[in-house]
Amino acid sequence: MKKIINNIYSKSKGLFLLVAFILTLSSCHKEVSPTNQVGSTYTVNYSQVFEDFWNSMNKTYVFWSIEKTDWDKVHRDFAPAFKRLDDEVALYSSDMIALKAARLFKQIVDGLVDSHYSLSLITGYGINPSLDRKWENPEFIGNLFMDKNGSITQLYPDNINYYNVGVDSMYLEDKVAGYDSLSGFYSVSGMIKNTNILYFSFSTFSLLSQYQSGTNPNVKASIDNFFTKLTDPKVTSLIIDVRGNGGGETSDLNFLLGRLVSKPLKIGYTKSKSGPGRLDYTPWADAIVKPWYAFPSGFNKPIAVLADGLSASMAELTAMTVKALPNSIFVGDTTWGANGPLTQNSDFNAGSFSFGNLGTNVDYGITYYYGSVYTSSCMFKYLDNKIYEGKGFPPDYVVKVTPDQIFLPDNVVDDPQLNKAISLLPK
Amino acid sequence: MSIRKKVASCIGILAMVGVFTKVSAQFYIGAEVGGNQNYLVTNVSSLNATEIVPKNGFALSAVLQYKVNDWFSLEATPGFIQKNYQIQRTGYYKGIYQRNDNNYLQLPVSAKFYFGAKKLKGFVDLGVYGAYWASSHIKGAVPNILDQKPYNPAYNPAVDPPIDPVVMSQSVFDDYTPYYYDQKYHFDNTRDRRFEFGITAGLGINYEATSKTNFFVEFKYADALTDQQNNYQYGQDARNNETGTIFIGVTRKVHTCCKKKAPKANITTTN
Repeated sequence: MKKIINNIYSKSKGLFLLVAFILTLSSCHKEVSPTNQVGSTYTVNYSQVFEDFWNSMNKTYVFWSIEKTDWDKVHRDFAPAFKRLDDEVALYSSDMIALKAARLFKQIVDGLVDSHYSLSLITGYGINPSLDRKWENPEFIGNLFMDKNGSITQLYPDNINYYNVGVDSMYLEDKVAGYDSLSGFYSVSGMIKNTNILYFSFSTFSLLSQYQSGTNPNVKASIDNFFTKLTDPKVTSLIIDVRGNGGGETSDLNFLLGRLVSKPLKIGYTKSKSGPGRLDYTPWADAIVKPWYAFPSGFNKPIAVLADGLSASMAELTAMTVKALPNSIFVGDTTWGANGPLTQNSDFNAGSFSFGNLGTNVDYGITYYYGSVYTSSCMFKYLDNKIYEGKGFPPDYVVKVTPDQIFLPDNVVDDPQLNKAISLLPK
Repeated sequence: MSIRKKVASCIGILAMVGVFTKVSAQFYIGAEVGGNQNYLVTNVSSLNATEIVPKNGFALSAVLQYKVNDWFSLEATPGFIQKNYQIQRTGYYKGIYQRNDNNYLQLPVSAKFYFGAKKLKGFVDLGVYGAYWASSHIKGAVPNILDQKPYNPAYNPAVDPPIDPVVMSQSVFDDYTPYYYDQKYHFDNTRDRRFEFGITAGLGINYEATSKTNFFVEFKYADALTDQQNNYQYGQDARNNETGTIFIGVTRKVHTCCKKKAPKANITTTN
């Protein structure tokens, strides 16, 4: 287990550092003492670090109305534990104290419902409660495709790596694929062989920025291929494949899904904090997908969305949006369960924050914090008035996959989820 | 003993002095109407670019007055009162707000002390009140994170120069579509405390237009001693209403009691 987690964190180290850096810059509610310079060493008052963490969570975490963690009990139980940690600083090595602190934080956040939630500590420890919960589930798709050494089998053929979903060449014709090595973005579009079913898949939701940046012509070509075919009258139906897609930018809501609608489509509701109290909330605001200006007529034919347990955030909103359309089906597996949108804390006085101010290096203008929390700024509720945060959005047709089902003898590749979607759509 | 307890004790003592002084008590009934301003006293210092501002409202009450003598009366003024406020953002976030119009049914009971001439008298009153938060209406605007602003097809970042973010984002609603709402507030039983208790103090002028009819103008201040929220979380910042209302009103004498009877004539016969 530890090896797997280490593997994930080592792969995502750059991302975590970037997130921590952004959070450090964006956090506005901490007092910074310009005279308190910190160099390569720093001292930590763990009681103060805990109080700052607890209070910031208390005021800016957005899921308190559905959260099962008793936050008052957390204070009762853990304030003395962090006080003991202060007392033990002289008794143990700094590494041991850092480990003890990380374990305490892990116990605190383990049950939080927010499935975007991650906690990064300056000591190098990272805690991701929803990921930990997934790994503990033997049916989690990530576990199914991991061998005993922790190396990962490519879930879907033609992948650049595990997180970049594609589809095997045997399924597609008129295929245009693009890969941007700088960002790791991957997209593929084409027609399912011997049918008029249009297929589109991509690794993350950065379609608009990838399309506009123009840094990789193949990426733009694959997206253009999809957009062009979307207006082709011969196309009878559409498959959007967001399996393994961890989400991304909300601007893709209109850029991609806005091409499927001819008038504004309500897909659910969001709400955030309106005050410092745990239960201070704004009203639910309608979540809307607007028609893309260049596609005012939308796409009125049957659509299938493929998603699985690794589809998170915007990928889940995509599955939900498609399901809000008539003539739509969702095939695959229950999604990750991280639906709450994110932005900088100051926008809603909610969401991500840094805690435990260790001081400012005035030469570089950098403030150091003991930790940073990455968490949603808003809660999302679907059209059916259910909140799927921490649970995942269930498919209409559950099709679970194992390596034995996908990788058949003689290098034949089969994809039961894709097969199911094809079988349900007009050809 | 706290100042509030001392004030309450003084009110009690003065009231008792008034009641037990030889009386020629009179009942008055009437009505008062007024405009007010309510401050929600709480701590929002942890929130970025956020402030709470007072808002105007109105009040309407019946006046039930038991005038013990020329300088003292007991008064109850059951009625309706608004305690409105607004939480709003500043700077870049200006435009995000929520106005809370809170409607209370309130019963103040006070001791009223008069001074001055017969026709035109000044008065002060001190008392306590209980109130029930009957309903609430909220109106405001928030950024709608899942309602993207329409795409500007004229701008092509591959060709056009980058947009200066300072120029681009003068306001939060340059970046987000606003979501406007204007709706009934649904109480949260975990958070909202709907019974409120507090103290009142007033200062005013009474004009005796006729032997039965009085007109008055009064400024009345009500200070809630109870939190607007239940004690539902550790480390909670209290929220208390402070309301200043200017009333105008009229009272009319309806009954006189305990009037001294005229002494019987001393009749003697001289048969």
